[in-house]
Amino acid sequence: MTRRLPDPRPQVEIVAGRAHVVGQQCAACGLRTTLVVSACPGCRGELAPVRFGPDGTVWGSTVIRVPVAGRTPPYCLAYVDLDGGPRVLVHVKASTEPVAVGTRVRLRGDSGGDLVVELVR
Amino acid sequence: MSHQAAVLGVGTSSFGKQPEVPLAQLAWSAVQEALSDSGVDARGIEAAYVGSVLGPFGSAQRALQGLGIGRIPVITVENACASGTTAFHEACWAVREGRYETVLVLGQEHMSSRITGAIPPDLGDPEGRSGLALPGVYAMAASRYMARYGLTLRQLAQVSVKNHGHALGNSRAQYSGDYTVEEVLASPLIADPLTLLQCCPISDGAAALVVGRAAARRDAVRVRSCALRSGRAWGYRSEHAWGFEIVRETAEAAYAEAGLGASEADLFEVHDSFTIGEILSIEGLGLAAEGEGGRLTESGHTALGGPQPVNPSGGLLSRGHPLGCTGVAQLAEVTWQLRGQAGARQVEGARIGVVETMGGGVAGLDGNACVVAVLERP
Ligand SMILES: [Zn+2]
Repeated sequence: MTRRLPDPRPQVEIVAGRAHVVGQQCAACGLRTTLVVSACPGCRGELAPVRFGPDGTVWGSTVIRVPVAGRTPPYCLAYVDLDGGPRVLVHVKASTEPVAVGTRVRLRGDSGGDLVVELVR
Repeated sequence: MSHQAAVLGVGTSSFGKQPEVPLAQLAWSAVQEALSDSGVDARGIEAAYVGSVLGPFGSAQRALQGLGIGRIPVITVENACASGTTAFHEACWAVREGRYETVLVLGQEHMSSRITGAIPPDLGDPEGRSGLALPGVYAMAASRYMARYGLTLRQLAQVSVKNHGHALGNSRAQYSGDYTVEEVLASPLIADPLTLLQCCPISDGAAALVVGRAAARRDAVRVRSCALRSGRAWGYRSEHAWGFEIVRETAEAAYAEAGLGASEADLFEVHDSFTIGEILSIEGLGLAAEGEGGRLTESGHTALGGPQPVNPSGGLLSRGHPLGCTGVAQLAEVTWQLRGQAGARQVEGARIGVVETMGGGVAGLDGNACVVAVLERP
């Protein structure tokens, strides 16, 4: 059943070696989202396709330490405010501790369909 | 013709993992207690509004069949953790508008037979598919609050200390205990910074209310107001933590309708599925200013014996969190409190009680649903 369910996660596009996430932007209110929606969730306006990323700032972060179906804990998650884009849920590569709020990160692509970021040094 | 809706009777099962007890049996104990408490005969129930999240489908009718309650309209509601209070909201409006005179509200959930371990994320949701289990949603809000407002680990843990302590006075609670902040923080990490004792357990349970007209009984607990909202787009540029705005908007609507504010409430039963959830809830409800919930908790203001106790029942953290049942269990607690029947956990002289339940899980929304109800003693 799971196999036939379309993958709802945001899609990554690599452009000139840089990872971007595919989303939409509202012409009326400016809302940006990576959700699959048929009208703007903020104002019902029309949406146009756009790419976001690759850089952003960590809004919040955690490490999931309990078993979740199909996953091996621990794994680090963060909400990242992409520069000029929406807040997206990402996995933080090779981190076993939460990432500090405000940390700058860069999209690296996807791993098994999950968005993945690395810390910008 | 508009009527004043009121709670005429309440009942609950005990709460906890009860895999050997069928869901219907939990519901029977809750409904029978509520009917007997209200003095209403089962034949006087004109409709039933039932909150249930994990099902299985038909479980409401199966439970009611075993009580000889049939043929009447049965409406089953799924609104995540706010399912039970959503059922109550609809029941109140039905009574107010005269559609029915006396109805049953039932919240029921048998989690231990429906899932193993934590609630599995929805693979049809972009964040669920990315491995975001529910503790993670709250954990990230906690990390944000700690960075933005200086919320401390000790303040978070204090919510758990308080609610486990409150539950010592509640024989139906799943867990209770006299913990220290250090013990809460030393329990295993679930999703940083939330430890095991800061997360609600998997529970089975049922709770029921008879809702009717205030004039029906001298000890009827009046429903001053009840508001229901769904979430708005979150995560574009909202500076508020996930779940904050939906609670605030729902609370403002409920207070406006009741004609009072947070300062006039004597007790609260709020959605503490995780410790940070109680902090966000008391801020959304206007009990604390935004960013001040941790300090207010640490001050003892929200503890039993303090000016405005929050979760005297032990809350979701300790009473347990059988999803669809929770809101009705909260309403039962506030009813007992307002009638002065809460025993060891009684809030002395309680006149106004507030219930808040909120549920989430849809990526991009700051909550699926939130209900805030204001109740007044007879
Ligand atoms: Zn828009």
